[in-house]
Amino acid sequence: MKVTEMVERLSLTVFAGHDGLGRIVEGGYTSDLLSDVMGHADAGSVWVTLQTHRNVMAIASLRDLAAVIISSGEKPGNETIEQSNEDGIPLLGTTLSTYEITGKLYSITG
Amino acid sequence: MRPYRADLHIHSILSPCAALEMAPAAIISNAKKRGLDMIALSDHNSTLNCEVTVALGREAGISVLRAAEVTSAEEVHSLVILPDENAMLGFQKWLERHSTHAPHDPEIFGYQLVVDVHENIVAEIDHFLTAALDASLEEVGAAAHSLGGLFIPAHIDRQSFSITSQLGFIPEELFVDAVEVVGGMTDLLYPVVRNSDAHMPEHIGRRFTTYMLENPSFEELALALRGEKGRHIISVTP
Repeated sequence: MKVTEMVERLSLTVFAGHDGLGRIVEGGYTSDLLSDVMGHADAGSVWVTLQTHRNVMAIASLRDLAAVIISSGEKPGNETIEQSNEDGIPLLGTTLSTYEITGKLYSITG
Repeated sequence: MRPYRADLHIHSILSPCAALEMAPAAIISNAKKRGLDMIALSDHNSTLNCEVTVALGREAGISVLRAAEVTSAEEVHSLVILPDENAMLGFQKWLERHSTHAPHDPEIFGYQLVVDVHENIVAEIDHFLTAALDASLEEVGAAAHSLGGLFIPAHIDRQSFSITSQLGFIPEELFVDAVEVVGGMTDLLYPVVRNSDAHMPEHIGRRFTTYMLENPSFEELALALRGEKGRHIISVTP
């Protein structure tokens, strides 16, 4: 499944990183500790988090993640948006809670 | 100039997690016993016990700096040390403006007490002070610097509430005056300090940093962190 298909099925907002909408979704990872994601998220995962700091994109890039979903209606700052565009990794959003979006993501990737 | 010992991370009874023995007078007497020349009172997201501690420190001959350990929106803890009372009052207002007023239960989290020099309770804070503010780490640093203060990410080598646990690494663009470590990590791009993070009297001074200063004051500390005019960090306790 491509990121663009996931965006459609989960009704996600695309904040930035449109160039990466063709990336392939291999799975998911949910965590708000960036140090944890840095050490454990697999390449191709979609990362669900509440954190909106620009370091999120640096770590998504480091782990070669498919996309980032910011949950609970949190909004990323300009620096995070710029970084997403630069790296070509989609920065997505949902008003659903971390619990709900993770459940939905699991049901379409699991 | 001579070496001065400073412990810049100490909690009082205003911090919910600190022991009830951590009244300002006990902090000063224990700091004295440990041979410290300078301390900073750094309660979670509040400076309300600072002036009392400054006054008691003055009587006892210990320099007390006004500070707070701030929780950013990312749940990163940082020390903000203020140059004087005015800056502290300004920072207190900023803290209150950015509070998320998380509900507090002293039975679960502990009491949050503001006291006077005679240890009378003058206020009990009714929201959970340690909770994250609605300000990003960058905004905490900017607020500190706009008031002439020092901004020092706390216990960066801990697995919780540190810049490394929450954000993975120190963002290159973030301006920090120093970083605080708990363990032995000193080979960093930033000036490194160690402090006790004391929550009980016997922990005061368990870690400290020795600085070469003209006198134990905020201005001299700021010079030492920048390595200017002969002031510098001599050593951090192992």
